[in-house]
Amino acid sequence: MIFQKNIVAQAPQEEITPDNQSGQNLNDDVETVVGPSVNVEGDLSSAGNIIVKGSVSGSVSTSKLLTVEKGAKITASVKAGSAVIAGEVKGNMKIKDSLELTSSSRVLGDICVKTLRVEDGAVIYGKVTMPGVEDIERRTSRLVKKIKKDDLDEAR
Amino acid sequence: MYVYLYDNFLRKKNFASTIKAIEVKLTDYGIAGKILRLNNYIDVKPIVDDEIKKGAKTIVVVGNDATFGQVLSRSATCDCLFGFLPIGPNNTIAHVLGIPVGAEACDVLSRRLKERLDIGWMNNRYFISQLVIKPALIEVIYNEQFKVGSRDKMELVVCNLQPFYWKRSKTDQNTQVVNPQDGKLEAFLRPLTKKKWWGYTYEEPSVFPFDEMEIIGQEPFAVEADGKKSKEIRLKIRLAKNKVQMVVGRSRQF
Repeated sequence: MIFQKNIVAQAPQEEITPDNQSGQNLNDDVETVVGPSVNVEGDLSSAGNIIVKGSVSGSVSTSKLLTVEKGAKITASVKAGSAVIAGEVKGNMKIKDSLELTSSSRVLGDICVKTLRVEDGAVIYGKVTMPGVEDIERRTSRLVKKIKKDDLDEAR
Repeated sequence: MYVYLYDNFLRKKNFASTIKAIEVKLTDYGIAGKILRLNNYIDVKPIVDDEIKKGAKTIVVVGNDATFGQVLSRSATCDCLFGFLPIGPNNTIAHVLGIPVGAEACDVLSRRLKERLDIGWMNNRYFISQLVIKPALIEVIYNEQFKVGSRDKMELVVCNLQPFYWKRSKTDQNTQVVNPQDGKLEAFLRPLTKKKWWGYTYEEPSVFPFDEMEIIGQEPFAVEADGKKSKEIRLKIRLAKNKVQMVVGRSRQF
């Protein structure tokens, strides 16, 4: 026993024990995070926020915020409440509220969004549609028709 | 009637004063009861079942996270109210449940604020605190919807009551605390990547809230749930909602 070595399992990194966590930032909201060097295949759907740092293929859907970080790759159709893209997205995107494309982003696919913000250097290859614009067109055409009708009535 | 299950480590002299203080407080509150001492070779389920038959209404676990896991993983199906008196170090679950460590826990127990807790189910048994799979070549299927894989080995931690803490680097301040009753289990996946010459480092963790998960290993992998170790090649984990009724504190984190 005297000559027996004490074998201690070496963890690659230091773990935090609950005793020494004073003054640390404690996050209570657990959201879906796809870490770097992780591949997700299939329908990734979540009720909360999604952060993608790795790669996803299939489809991504959330009612809240989707964040695609720099270096991340999505080969899927995307549905989200709002989105911030800094990585690559190959597929159609349907965003309910707002979409922000940063300078490192690359989007290959059609985008349907209410509010779009594009930084210098962002790449988009696809059609961009905004649902609000259709309503404005309808309203203006109705107004034009009404004015024409009124003019005709006055002429008679 | 109350039944108190004492862990074996409480026989040590340094806990004698705390035990005495607790017993005095319990007698003052009029909730003192039968004391049973546990050890590693005792199966808790028949003991708890027997005490319920004899008329026990509340089973109180006295010890630390390991004791809590040992008792509740076996007796989660028992129809009774559970209490917890945390003593000594390694008490992270008590913090989540809002129960102070030591004699002050008796105040929480006497108030009898009841709450139903979700627990995890794996293959053929329940787990309360955490399930850990050490780095192995595994593939994870979540809710039969999507598959998660990595190039190398992955470590998987499924959290229920015990929070999961990690540190990316020594300077990193980021820690996460998982709520036990948010209606989902949380899985933390950390892939291992090879360093330049030797050794491995953990990558940033991926987090997936889930109801059901299947883990398929290329070779048998070690699983540790509530301190119990086993080897599996295929593992199914599910969420058992509102399974355990417990006395909790006002400062609970859910």
